[in-house]
Formats: sequence, C-alpha cells, structure tokens
Amino acid sequence: MAGKTNYKKIISDALLYDNPVLVQVIGLCSTLAVTNLAMNSLVMGIALAVVTAFSSLTISLLRNITPKHIRMMVQVFVISFYVIIVDIFLKAYMPEMSKTLGPYVGLIITNCIIMGRAEAFAIANKPIPSFVDGFISGIGYTIVLLLVAFVRELLGFGSLFGIRILPQSFTPWTMMVMPPGAFFILPIIMWIAYNIRNKKKGAKK
Amino acid sequence: MAKKKSMIFPVVFMVLLAGILTFLLAVINEVSLPVIEFNQKIELQEKILSVFNILPEEATPQEIDSIFNENIKEEDYEGKKLYIQEENGENVAYAVPFDGPGLWGSIDGYLGIKSDLKTVTGIEFIKQEETPGLGGRISEPEYKEQFRNLDISDSSSGEIVINKPAPGGNIDAITGATQTSTFVTNMINEDIMNFINTRKEV
Repeated sequence: MAGKTNYKKIISDALLYDNPVLVQVIGLCSTLAVTNLAMNSLVMGIALAVVTAFSSLTISLLRNITPKHIRMMVQVFVISFYVIIVDIFLKAYMPEMSKTLGPYVGLIITNCIIMGRAEAFAIANKPIPSFVDGFISGIGYTIVLLLVAFVRELLGFGSLFGIRILPQSFTPWTMMVMPPGAFFILPIIMWIAYNIRNKKKGAKK
Repeated sequence: MAKKKSMIFPVVFMVLLAGILTFLLAVINEVSLPVIEFNQKIELQEKILSVFNILPEEATPQEIDSIFNENIKEEDYEGKKLYIQEENGENVAYAVPFDGPGLWGSIDGYLGIKSDLKTVTGIEFIKQEETPGLGGRISEPEYKEQFRNLDISDSSSGEIVINKPAPGGNIDAITGATQTSTFVTNMINEDIMNFINTRKEV
C-alpha cells in the first residue's frame, strides 16, 4: 500500500461505481426501514457515515497488531463502540430523533456497509484513507437514502423534511409510507444508476 | 503478523481492547447521563401536563419542571405511577396509566380523568412503536385531541371509548390502522374501567 492514495477513485467508487447500496446491495435493512421521512434518512445517513469513518480509522490503526483470525471480532467490537456513542449522543442532544429512529440506531452495528468497508478497505490501508473511504461510503449511502426518502415522503405524506409541498387535496399514497414502498422505489433508483454507469463505461471505450 | 497464531496473544488483545473501549464508553455514559435523564424527565412531565391540559404553549424545560412540581402529585398504583393534579389541596384530575399490546410492540400511555370520573382531560402515549404515518398517528394531535373533554359518564356498556361507527362510538379510528385503533381503545377500556371501578368502591 505504498505510494499515493487515489482519493478521487475512493470518492467516485463510493458514490457511484461501487456505491454500497446501489452496487454492492448491502445495508438494505435500514434503507427500507427509515426512508419514509427525509429527516430520518438524513440523520440516519450522517450517523452511519460518522460511525463508518471512525471505525474504519480505528480498525486501520489497529490493523498491524490485530491477530488475523480474530479480526472480525475486533471489528464488530470497534463498530459497536462507536454506535453506542452515537446512540448516547442522539439521546442526549436530539431526543426526538432518537425516538423516531429507535431501534435502527442500535442496528447500525449490523449494517454491512461498516463491516464491509472495514474488511474491504480499512484492514489493508492506512488510517487517513480509511477514514475518508468510510466517510464517503457513508455519504454514498446517505444520498441513496435521501433519494428514496424524497419520493416516499413526497408521495406518502405530500411533504419534504416535514414541510408540506403538495396541496391538501393530494391523496397520500399510503403504500409509500410502509416498507413495501421502498421495495418499489429502491430498484427504480438502482436501475437508473445502472444505466448511468453503463453509459459512462461505454463512452470511455 | 507471522507468529501471532498463539492462543495467548489474541486473548490478551481482546481483553485489553475490551477494557479500553468499555472504559471510554463508561466515561461518556457518565458524562451524558444527567442530560439524558433530564430530557426524559421533562418529556414525561410535558406529557403529564398535556394529559391534564395545563401545558403552556411555549415553556422552557425549567418552567415545565416548576409547573409540574407545583401542581402534580405522584402516587403508586398497581406497580406504576398515578399522577394526580391538585388545586388548593384537592384532587382535580388523575392521569391513569394504561398499557397493552400494539401492532409491533407494546403501547404505554396516560389518560387523564377528572376526579368525578366522568370526563377525560386528555391522552398521551409514552411509548409506541406503531407504523409511522399509519398506527403511529395515535401520537399526532388530531387523534389525541378527540379525547379532550370527552364525556365518559355513560359507561354502562362496560366500554368508555368506542371506535366509530360502532353504536355509541365516540372516537374516530385511524384510516389504514384498524388494528392499532382497536388495540388502543381496548387497553383504555380495560385499564381505565379498572381504575374507575376501584375508585368508585373507595
């Protein structure tokens, strides 16, 4: 891992070419669960980005002294450490948000994105690139969450970030509020992203 | 990395890591505990005041705390807390705890009743995990406002709240959340009737 780190590649990978949700198709549980309101998605996404960034940083710092065969245990340990901090922070300073997100904050621990980045990147790279990689992956996740939430909140409640956008006469699509709504929206977004990626690849040839 | 597959090093490593991380968490927890407890206390006080319909429109946490301490008395009731609103040393209203199963998780809340046991002052939910936008709307003002000043003097049927359009209905259920609406009225009927009956006997 000597030489310069290609940050540009890290960023474009995490956001589009290797987006955790759209391409790797991981972290779906929370994507389907919290995206009925844009505000929830934003806080969830930021929380995840912070946790991923710091746990990647820590795991990368420990990578040379971590015994190989217990590395997964160490990773989960470090991840839960940061998730509990986030949980405490939300409870203390954003009690309302902590209540709406409820169990999903605790479930960040099991979000495959964090573990995935730890295994795929942090365990073999220097601390700072790992931190960036983790954070940008989290942002890539946040963007997808917001896209899904945008459609779901608009159609399900007629509002965005709690502000009413569509007229009162608009009939909310109850389906969008429930988890199945995300099952419809997410694949559509995946499909669009797939086409964008393929077009760009085609152009390069 | 080569010679680290002994048994001892991984164990020592895990123990050390566990020690450090747990210690840090304990420190953070200790530091933020007062803030969290204060938040939770104020949230509960706000809800109880709202049950009694005496919550000011805008109030700082300190004001809520003082209003609460001046007007509300606590009493143990079936292993839970019963809140009593007092005015000039007399009981004006009770906030009676109720709970029961919801669609996804248990639902906890308080229903306020005037001391004549004939009028509801309000309702608040302390804990509910219903679907946001559907069953979760029991926590929205539109649903809760229906309970304000609700006349429950006619509880001859053994039920004090009934979802419309059933005969004698006095509460609008939530569209698309029939289950939650039914659960809520059931738990109110059961727990509050129980309370009214024990009070009447006294």
